[in-house]
Amino acid sequence: MKQKQLSWYKKQDPWIFLFPTIVGLVFFRVGPIIVSFLISFTDWDILRDARFLGLENYKELFLSSAFYQVFRNTLTFSFIYVCGVTIFGLLLALLLNQKLKGMKFFRSAFYTPVVTSAVAVGIIWSWILSPKYGILTILLNKIGIVSPYWLGDPSLALTTVALIQVWKMSGYYMIIFLAGLQNIPESLREAARIDGAGKLKTFFKITLPLLTPTTFFVLSISIIDSFKNFELIYAITRGGPQNSTNTLVYDVYLNAFVYYRMGYSSALAYILLAVVGLLTAFNFYGKKRWVQYQY
Amino acid sequence: MKITAKILIALLILLPATALFANGSQDSGASEEVVLQYWSWDPELKSRNETMIEKFEIANPGIKVELTTIEPKEYWTKIRIMANQKKLPDVFNLSAGYLEEWSQNGLLFDLSSFIESDLNKNDFYMNLFDAVKDLSGTDSYYAFPYALVTTCLYYNKDAFDEAGISYPDSNWTWDDFRDAAIKLTKDIDRDGSIDQWGYWFYGRYAHIESWVYSNNGSLINRDAMKYAPDSNALEAISFLTDLVLKDKAAPSKKEMSAFRQQDVFPQGAAAMFVDGSWNIDNNRSVAGDSINWGIAELPKGPNGDGSLTYGWPDSLAISPNTQHADAAWKFTRFAAGEGLSMDMVMAGKIPSYRPLTESEAFLDKGQQPDNKELLIAQAGEEMRTSFTLSWGEWRGYGAAESLGFNGVIDGIIDSELNYAEALELAEKNVNTVLDRNYK
Repeated sequence: MKQKQLSWYKKQDPWIFLFPTIVGLVFFRVGPIIVSFLISFTDWDILRDARFLGLENYKELFLSSAFYQVFRNTLTFSFIYVCGVTIFGLLLALLLNQKLKGMKFFRSAFYTPVVTSAVAVGIIWSWILSPKYGILTILLNKIGIVSPYWLGDPSLALTTVALIQVWKMSGYYMIIFLAGLQNIPESLREAARIDGAGKLKTFFKITLPLLTPTTFFVLSISIIDSFKNFELIYAITRGGPQNSTNTLVYDVYLNAFVYYRMGYSSALAYILLAVVGLLTAFNFYGKKRWVQYQY
Repeated sequence: MKITAKILIALLILLPATALFANGSQDSGASEEVVLQYWSWDPELKSRNETMIEKFEIANPGIKVELTTIEPKEYWTKIRIMANQKKLPDVFNLSAGYLEEWSQNGLLFDLSSFIESDLNKNDFYMNLFDAVKDLSGTDSYYAFPYALVTTCLYYNKDAFDEAGISYPDSNWTWDDFRDAAIKLTKDIDRDGSIDQWGYWFYGRYAHIESWVYSNNGSLINRDAMKYAPDSNALEAISFLTDLVLKDKAAPSKKEMSAFRQQDVFPQGAAAMFVDGSWNIDNNRSVAGDSINWGIAELPKGPNGDGSLTYGWPDSLAISPNTQHADAAWKFTRFAAGEGLSMDMVMAGKIPSYRPLTESEAFLDKGQQPDNKELLIAQAGEEMRTSFTLSWGEWRGYGAAESLGFNGVIDGIIDSELNYAEALELAEKNVNTVLDRNYK
């Protein structure tokens, strides 16, 4: 019966419709990915034809002390970002997962920074954190605290920029957590309450374990997201002071479009790919230890 | 569904895409007209460029110019790709920093014979043409300079009046400058922090090299192509960094992190400032009438005689692959000469076309500063720059501004690096880049 209904279906049909997308994917994604791998073995500067260098770019990279600093900066930024957005995203979601008046307003308010341009966010925060004239500096002064140079001190700048990114993006993860929270049947929490569990205990024993698929999703996405920090760094610190906020993505940009060292930059990009890939694989590998899909 | 119907749907989807490709190949009509491609890096000048082109086309029937304007951010990437593909536009904007790289890779048309035989040399500041020659590191003219950019000292007249200091003039020395900077540094509202600094600078090229050259110094040994600051250059660097660390007459970089660097002076947070002459434009728009300000030559260093200026020309270049060299030359000469008007040159840039620079229009009387004549005098002086191959990388420019040599100087004035270790770091970093480029 069923066969007859779909008699017009031929196996090759979907490919006809997929064709435009596949062409786009091959030309604009897969193509550049392969070509940039090849470029990473050359000294291409766009202007002249590329010369094959073998592993020279990778060698230069691993022998340069600046690279290790960039690498450390990248991991530090990611660590702060992933922890930050996961914790703040969850806290905001818990706050907003209550049936009170005006929740819709707060939901959109907390989401606003996500859709605000990184450049605007960067400028506003530079003003807030500015020495002498910044509002935070003035407020801290009022209560007798001497404000540090948030963006000018190499030991603070990276953390500051990462936290600004956390502030900007927490709203996005809040929405994901909120969806996860609303999927947890109220009956389970009710049962726990009846059995005498307090609020904290219900949260840690019921809500959090049942939220693990969402948490896993948030971690996967935020790990990948944590490496995309170019815009904010460009807008606020431009890699400084003293290389302290220079990350892999920023260094890729500098080498490619400021120094025109496409080969070296592609090598850096492949290191970045390896790091993101490893962390994501690690996350997936660890998943079965803590993610619970069943109630 | 019939197979024809499926193909039809697939075609419908693809049709807009094919239409896109089809467009390109229609313009090859049989007319005799020469069509020149001209690439400009200034979107703000688009309509004025169009007016200029119209005038050119009327005066030169048979030549048509097609203008392409590209945002400065993308200009260099795009034009490098065109150069790689040997499809450079016939005429295009070229900045002084790329002259060496482009001329040595055969990407610029040698204009020497045109300049020798087909240019009225009394109409142009010919030392700018010499600067182009020097920058290219060759004996040929590979570009046509249309405007000079130089550096000067900006000073806040109100602050000077209030402190009872006479305005800087061409006899000013570094000591006069330092004394003034110290006197001009003030905590106006008496809250314990400085509101008006005497001077403001950081590691930026225009902020450092200007002083190096005013002391007849040099950062790069051009024979060995190594970073090797001579004693005059080192004297300039320590003079500047001492203004922050010892004299407390200038802020550290981190102190000013909320300002756009070019806004510190016009917002009144520093009474003196040295940067490119194009800042006249920004000062006018940011300061408006709120402060009175003027420009002066850089104070003379102990070993300088005031004859050496930090300046470089913006140029037009012609593609070596052009099919219409004569037409391209005519257009270049027009666009850099009689076709140019003052509203096409940022206030502060100095046209190389003398009738324009020496006209009333250039002096902008009625606007600040009231002494733009000073820039004309500078246009005749000897010029030096720090440009090399990969200059932006070792110097720390644009998006790399907080790195490179710029970052090292910032490290000194922010007290992150001590003077000796900073210079050591600079030598290592700069020479790594130079060694890669000059093997």
